[in-house]
Amino acid sequence: MSAPNMAVDLGGIKMHNPINTAAGTYGFGWQFEGFYDVSQLGAITTKGCAAEAWPGNPKPRMCEVTSGVMNSVGLMNPGVRGLVEQSGEYLQGLSDKGCAVICQVAGHSVDEYVAAVELFEELAPFAAGLEINISCPNIAAGGCAMGSTPDGAAEVIRALRPRTDRPLLVKMAPARVVEVAKALEAEGADALSVINSIPAMSIDVHTRRSRLSRPTGGLSGPCLHNIAVRMVWEVAHAVDIPVNGVGGVMSGADAAEFILAGATSVSVGMSNLVRPDSAPRILSELVSWVEEQGVDDVNDLIGAFEC
Amino acid sequence: MPTPSAARIHEFEVVSNTPVAEGIWSLVMRAPKLAEGLSSGQFMSIAVPGDATQLVRVPLSFSKADPVKGTVETEYAVVGDGTRRLSLMRPGDTSDVLGPGGHGWRLESHPRRVLLVAGGIGITPIVSAARWLAREGVEFDAIVGTKTVNTLWGFDELMSVGVQHVVITSDDGTAGDQGFTTDALEPALAGGEYDLVLTCGPEVMMHKVADICAAVGVACEVSMERMMTCGFGACATCVVPTRSGNVGACMGGPVFDAKEVVW
Ligand SMILES: Cc1cc2nc3c(=O)[nH]c(=O)nc-3n(C[C@H](O)[C@H](O)[C@H](O)COP(=O)(O)OP(=O)(O)OC[C@H]3O[C@@H](n4cnc5c(N)ncnc54)[C@H](O)[C@@H]3O)c2cc1C
Ligand SMILES: Cc1cc2nc3c(=O)[nH]c(=O)nc-3n(C[C@H](O)[C@H](O)[C@H](O)COP(=O)(O)O)c2cc1C
Ligand code: FES
Repeated sequence: MSAPNMAVDLGGIKMHNPINTAAGTYGFGWQFEGFYDVSQLGAITTKGCAAEAWPGNPKPRMCEVTSGVMNSVGLMNPGVRGLVEQSGEYLQGLSDKGCAVICQVAGHSVDEYVAAVELFEELAPFAAGLEINISCPNIAAGGCAMGSTPDGAAEVIRALRPRTDRPLLVKMAPARVVEVAKALEAEGADALSVINSIPAMSIDVHTRRSRLSRPTGGLSGPCLHNIAVRMVWEVAHAVDIPVNGVGGVMSGADAAEFILAGATSVSVGMSNLVRPDSAPRILSELVSWVEEQGVDDVNDLIGAFEC
Repeated sequence: MPTPSAARIHEFEVVSNTPVAEGIWSLVMRAPKLAEGLSSGQFMSIAVPGDATQLVRVPLSFSKADPVKGTVETEYAVVGDGTRRLSLMRPGDTSDVLGPGGHGWRLESHPRRVLLVAGGIGITPIVSAARWLAREGVEFDAIVGTKTVNTLWGFDELMSVGVQHVVITSDDGTAGDQGFTTDALEPALAGGEYDLVLTCGPEVMMHKVADICAAVGVACEVSMERMMTCGFGACATCVVPTRSGNVGACMGGPVFDAKEVVW
């Protein structure tokens, strides 16, 4: 049998295979070039960037928990101009090689999201799509606060939709996902990334202090994978736009689970950090699984879960 | 594009792994490519087996990299579960290690005489610095701080690589002078012999060392510790505030010019 078709279309973002990377776990892509040729991935998603640079939160920004990590990076980023200056040339080259570059957009308010999207429009011709992060658990305003209600989420996308023709993905918070997804679809979102890290807490019982510099942080890793699979399945049933599955993907089987639950593409997150060559391994395991399923197109397996 | 980390994944085999002081172990691993690539003050991140729910690598400095034997030596304090599992690895056991990581000792000032200041397990990269200075023909002395005589490691190693003068300080007076490394630092710098101080230890100690050096106009490099998730510049969990903004300790550090650090 010839190799199966792995190409997918994530709301207008053409990917030569379903493997994407999760924002914040992949820098701006070039950090991985010493380990493998990044262009073999279907897409990469760059760290969330705002119109202006953000310093992020104080240390400690990470603690390890059972089967995962919690982080409170707080969307430290160089701003859209900084991204373009430092990484623009690399990202253009990556896009020229056929890997879709998805740029994540951060903001504390609707106005800040608008300012960032306008800058991306002006300065980032390499962006195949923009992913709007309305679900960061580590910032005081914006982020999770806006993404957790259908009205808050809709307000952001309503303001952004007229300002760009590029595909708009929305990174969703793990809360009220069906209602929020429907609201986002109604405002013209092209695809949904489900889910961001889950707001969580870890306390050092000896010192009675948070193990991060803030009381709470975002939980990532295999511990949340099955929650994410359930949410992807619920969202995929509720809307017609495609879903990018995110959460605890450590293997090709984890990626396959998302696809069966209804995801068109899958982002590798924490796995990149603990083992930098994870994403291409997960891709090759996914290809083997598609072959083993006896289909000649991965698209035939999207949502092919049976109960 | 900006320069990616030089780190690669290397399989390693444990050659020996033994306690050398109270709570301190010495690991020698065979990893020939890593041994060739490490420069003094850089670090490596070890995937420690034994618990499938603990995924983050343990970042460690090294005291000796031997490109001829293809081995790397590190001394580590058993402080939590990752280092406890590391202490359970036996000769012949294998895993993988990511390295070399970050930016090592800089020696940009071309010093004539260097003073090394180690606090606790901060001794590991200080012993590596001593070996390097000896190879470069730069003279050096050391101040080594320990909690008690039982937690002291590194004196013999410093002597064997040719340190001229070592002052030991201990919190309880059971080894050398009772007190902190910083108590010994001020008088040591008063003579004006040193043009560079290299230090690694608890952050409060390094901050004080940096202040003392700044006050007398001696250059100082500090090796900073941060919670690291990736160790190659992808996650921004390890930043150190500097005069030019937040810099990742795993790429711009762990060694920083003390004047740059915003404590
Ligand atoms: C560049 C660098 C070089 C280091 N070199 C050495 C060395 O040569 N010898 C040595 O004994 N230790 C060294 N450390 C510290 C060592 O990484 C931690 O002690 C170790 O990760 C603790 O893991 P654990 O699971 O045993 O402890 P945990 O139970 O996780 O924590 C115990 C304590 O260790 C600290 N810690 C835990 N994980 C990390 C991490 N990923 N990065 C930094 N600190 C952490 C925490 O603040 C905590 O207080 C270095 C750290 C860095 C960043
Ligand atoms: C260190 C770190 C930084 C992150 N930064 C971002 C970010 O900037 N934007 C975002 O939407 N998600 C961010 N995330 C969340 C991931 O993109 C992802 O949604 C989450 O980690 C779940 O996937 P995983 O379990 O595969 O890591 C971050 C996660 C980690 C561990
Ligand atoms: S540990 Fe990930 S950027 Fe430094």
